[in-house]
Amino acid sequence: MDVRSWIRVGIIAGIVTIFLALVGLIGRFVDLNLVGEQVTFARLVLIAAPLVAGYAVTRPRIRAGERRALAPRDAIMAGAVSGATAGLVFGIAVVAADAFGIDRIRSVFLNVSQPLIDFVTFGQPPVVGAVILTAVSAVAGGLAAGLRVTPIAVRRPITTAVSAVLVLGFLQRIIPIALDQLNFERDWLYSRSIGGLTWLGAILVAGVAAGLSVLNARKGRDLRARLFSTREESTGVAPAQLGLALVLVAVLVAVPWVVGEVISQVLGTVLIYVLLGIGLNIVVGYAGLLDLGYVFFYAVGAYSTALLTGAALNTFTGSGPPAVSLDLNFYLAIPIVLVIAACAGLLIGAPVLRLRGDYLALVTLGLGEMVTVLVRSPWLVPLVGGPNGMRGVSDAAVAGFGFREPQHFYYLALGFVLLAIFVSWRLSASRIGRAWTAMREDEQTAEAMGVNTTRFKLLAFAMGGAIGSLGGSMFAVQIGSLTPQSFEVTVSILVLGLVILGGLGSLPGVVVGALVLVGLPGLLREFEEYRGLAYGAALVAVMILRPQGLVPNVRRSRELQEEERAQDEWALEKEADVAVVEGIST
Amino acid sequence: MSETPAVLEVRGVEKHFGGLYALSGLDMEVRRGEVVSVIGPNGAGKSTLFNTITGLYGPDSGDVWFQGQSIVGLKPSQITRLGISRTFQTVHLFPNMTVLENAMVGQHSRSRSGLLGAVLRLPSQRKEEERVRGKAREALSFFGRRLSGYRHEQPAFTLSYANRRRLEIARALATEPMLLLLDEPTAGMNPTETQELTDQIWRLRKDRGVTILVIEHDMRVVKGVSDRVIALDYGKKIAEGTYEEVAHDERVIEAYLGTKASA
Repeated sequence: MDVRSWIRVGIIAGIVTIFLALVGLIGRFVDLNLVGEQVTFARLVLIAAPLVAGYAVTRPRIRAGERRALAPRDAIMAGAVSGATAGLVFGIAVVAADAFGIDRIRSVFLNVSQPLIDFVTFGQPPVVGAVILTAVSAVAGGLAAGLRVTPIAVRRPITTAVSAVLVLGFLQRIIPIALDQLNFERDWLYSRSIGGLTWLGAILVAGVAAGLSVLNARKGRDLRARLFSTREESTGVAPAQLGLALVLVAVLVAVPWVVGEVISQVLGTVLIYVLLGIGLNIVVGYAGLLDLGYVFFYAVGAYSTALLTGAALNTFTGSGPPAVSLDLNFYLAIPIVLVIAACAGLLIGAPVLRLRGDYLALVTLGLGEMVTVLVRSPWLVPLVGGPNGMRGVSDAAVAGFGFREPQHFYYLALGFVLLAIFVSWRLSASRIGRAWTAMREDEQTAEAMGVNTTRFKLLAFAMGGAIGSLGGSMFAVQIGSLTPQSFEVTVSILVLGLVILGGLGSLPGVVVGALVLVGLPGLLREFEEYRGLAYGAALVAVMILRPQGLVPNVRRSRELQEEERAQDEWALEKEADVAVVEGIST
Repeated sequence: MSETPAVLEVRGVEKHFGGLYALSGLDMEVRRGEVVSVIGPNGAGKSTLFNTITGLYGPDSGDVWFQGQSIVGLKPSQITRLGISRTFQTVHLFPNMTVLENAMVGQHSRSRSGLLGAVLRLPSQRKEEERVRGKAREALSFFGRRLSGYRHEQPAFTLSYANRRRLEIARALATEPMLLLLDEPTAGMNPTETQELTDQIWRLRKDRGVTILVIEHDMRVVKGVSDRVIALDYGKKIAEGTYEEVAHDERVIEAYLGTKASA
């Protein structure tokens, strides 16, 4: 019975709720209905921290080499105590705020308002509200704790169902539009008047999700084995795998027409960042060179595409031709862009060859910053238009079929993404990839084993730069005009963030990372202001809970656990051996 | 032995770190097919000697010749390509690569397929990969069952300490060296493992014709493997000869006892 730690976790959760209230995540979303009018985003935020606290305090602990899980009754008790503490802390803060004067607090914390206080006290006087808060939070904590100690066969369907309902609730601006586009009757699922899911819809979604989860638990292993078996001896393609591939292709092709123009626009941007991520993944993930100036290649790709395909400068009087430009077909220009970017990679790589780690990061950060200064500088106005930028970039048309339309652009970007994934995958599985891995793990030893580290570092910069420049090219095609605002250091940070979030060295990780860091903010426009907060929270959470990334490098994670166990057994045997040997020698 | 040509010649090599002379005017040579041990108290300059030969350090003066050409100023990877390979005093594997991949990295300088071959997976590249894998397996097979079978696919960090040392030697063998430098290969091994490795060093020379220069503290190993022993102290050669000669040399005994007394 570790009451002290239950209370400690509860206090932290209470402080988290205070923070969430102060930044406005409760007060501003009182009317954001997720399910019916009862489950609102604000209510969810109010009980989120107690839920997490209740779940966290009941985690099994290792004491004296034994894994100890709490008995169900103790666990629910622990969760309730934690939740109640959280609610109490928040309740006290509410009472104190009310006593102090809402308007005085409001002069510093703009989001604190009378409606917020009314909401969190359930319309009661503050003290009564605090008591209700404590009770509600205790129930939430107890529920979360109870969930944790239920057997996995019950717990997993429940969590799957709840997550599915919440996800669909959040996507209320997107899925209904897609359904409408398909002329699909949707009023039973999404309510037109209140925004979120209807209760009927929510129950159906929960039922389907739970059912799928149960099915997955029973048949999933078998199914996965048939779909993803990568055993070398299996020659040819299994029918199940072929089916999966066909479905995947069909989905990829159909997506833009299902989701509509607005989301296709978001997906196009996601694909651009996937290209950037694949490129940076070669530099950081494969070769282990931390590059904080990756926006350099984004800019090189975008501006060289513009110059090669005959874009015009924006000037005060209208438009004018750049000092140097060609009027090439887009597909002729791309190889040249790749070569230019690869040369730029060598240019960046050469001065930083001797640097490692922090120093390399700092110098590349500086080099990346140079590009933003350069494209703005008066010196380059005749070439790239300075702050006014350029317009009229090719829309990469093939036989009159342009790719500027979001739904068309998606296919162009998808094509280049698939190409980049293919190249990157082949490289990683070759002698070159092996040399990069060796270099990343131990540079000096790789050199001593015959890997010319100078050459392979430069190769990584050149390849990473070339693929990243494709992202720039796509961006130029997507919007047709370029201004320096698009080439800030934030691009470098975002791309590095998505590569790390997804899992260094993992191609599926890049895709997932881009969907999370670029796609989600594009979809959840109503949370635009909280983008930075969510971004930071996501990175911190991943680094603590899953430092290898969301979709880590496959082979490593698969083997890790059982190998460790085998090794432990081996070590025990070995210790016994050594003890015997020592016994003999002394 | 003097009729066999010297494979490695170290001529008047000096290397100092600030005021500390790690090597001062060292002359030595290793002839083809020999096993030569380098002994000396801690800080005598043994590992510095290895680092200088393999190009990790450039000497301050003096020259190193390998098979009739000076290798001073070459990069470590170039020296490996010429046929010198090594292990490290503290094991330096690629911990997250598999055992087989570690050995395959050793084949790097014996293969050449580049960007185009990798992306298009040309027939020549595939054939080369097969060859590299075969050579790596062969290098690992030198240690028999110790590094065989399912272990090939294990990440290197899961290996036991002794197996890590063996893998490091196998990786060095995979570079197809003519001269192999072993830096305290038996450190941390138990007596059985040490004996096993002593035999294997013999076998390396006998079966594969590899010339070996080894740093070793365990005098039983030194006695067991060496044709010739060189003793260093303060970066200078203080004795050279058979194990018996060097072991009874007064300066050697003094060097070792001296360190013991001051320790």
